[in-house]
Amino acid sequence: MSTADHAATHERLRCVVVTPERTLFDTPVESVTLPLFDGEIGILHGHTPLIGRLGYGELRTKDGNTVHRYFVDGGFAQVRDNVVTVLTNRATPAAAISAEGSARELEAAKARKATNELDQAEKTKAVDRARALVRVASHKS
Amino acid sequence: MAKARAIVQRRAAVQNIKKITRTMELIATARFKKALDRATEAEAYTRKIAEIVADLGTTSLEVSHPLLQPHPEVKKSVLLVITSNRGLAGGYNGNVLRAANRSLQDFETDSLGVRLEVAGKRGINYFRFRGTPADATYTNFEDRPQFDEVNTLAEAYIAMYVSGEIDRLDVAYTRFINAAKQEAVVQTLLPMSASQVGQVVQSVRQKQAAAGAVAKHKGEAVPYEFLPDPKSILEEIVPVSFKVRLFKCFLDAAVSEQISRMVAMRGATENADAMVKSLTMLYNRARQAQITGELAEIIGGAAALE
Repeated sequence: MSTADHAATHERLRCVVVTPERTLFDTPVESVTLPLFDGEIGILHGHTPLIGRLGYGELRTKDGNTVHRYFVDGGFAQVRDNVVTVLTNRATPAAAISAEGSARELEAAKARKATNELDQAEKTKAVDRARALVRVASHKS
Repeated sequence: MAKARAIVQRRAAVQNIKKITRTMELIATARFKKALDRATEAEAYTRKIAEIVADLGTTSLEVSHPLLQPHPEVKKSVLLVITSNRGLAGGYNGNVLRAANRSLQDFETDSLGVRLEVAGKRGINYFRFRGTPADATYTNFEDRPQFDEVNTLAEAYIAMYVSGEIDRLDVAYTRFINAAKQEAVVQTLLPMSASQVGQVVQSVRQKQAAAGAVAKHKGEAVPYEFLPDPKSILEEIVPVSFKVRLFKCFLDAAVSEQISRMVAMRGATENADAMVKSLTMLYNRARQAQITGELAEIIGGAAALE
């Protein structure tokens, strides 16, 4: 781990987060952790080209001792030539998410009525999203 | 004296109006710049989506998504008309509404059921006046359309299309081509065609840049790792692409609205200027005529006294 850390201080990658409205940020970082549809993936310098589907969850960028945390609302990620591009509908800084608000959202999502398959899928999605929100909110240091 | 004073009053009124239109022009210019910046920033996303689709395209696969399948029988269609909330924007609203009307008539001749949705107070009032009130109205899209708002709208359309409630979606809006040219168009957004997924309506400048980027890409053919697999990613991109296209319509409309208002107000300011000039001339002439008249009276009076 220490050798990886050492290497990372020299080799950085660019993390670009793009929403439909604007480019949220474009900064050099040491590592990026993405919430893929089935779990987290960590990206360091020299990662193989990748296109992945994102789920709901936490996006972390690490540069030295500073860690930035965002909640992303699904989307896509592309890794290529040491550039991580995250395309998402919304990326909210973790600090801006309130624990109570997300807990309430989870309750609301759980209480949703689902009578047919379409509604059920919608409900599952909403619950997943709210759970991820709660998770990100509770991890707040 | 009465006539000259009336002219002075009128000139003052025109000057006041000129000040107002001049200010409105400045405001519209500032808003236009902001709206254009937003639209340009938003293009980063569409460009990236196009890039990913191009990358996925190298794996050559068939996409099947409910949004891509035209319904066998088109019975019910939605027409979304994007107008502005405020007037004084020259021909902006008129052009969109004319285009919308034309396609409404087409629907009528084809005896299609139409669900009319209107964004913007001007359009809402127009259709109310015409006696064909809209089925749904939106007034929350101002000169800064938010993606979240468009997202909910888009999701409603997707749900309606997938469930077979509607078979087609058209949007009547003003397309922004460049600062000197905008045109009112009616664009069919649903069903989408597979080729539209990656292709996004872009301004000419950006289009060239994007084309260059894509071409460059194809040459390289980066060996991507796909998580989970190209097919499901592409399927996920289809609705996103639709949302972005709808969002783009709103952004274009916002930019075009500000340009139209700017141009209209510039014209109004220039006209006011010309009017002030001609009124000044009239006033001077009236004043001179009055002085001449008074002089003639004095001379006449003096001559009568002798």
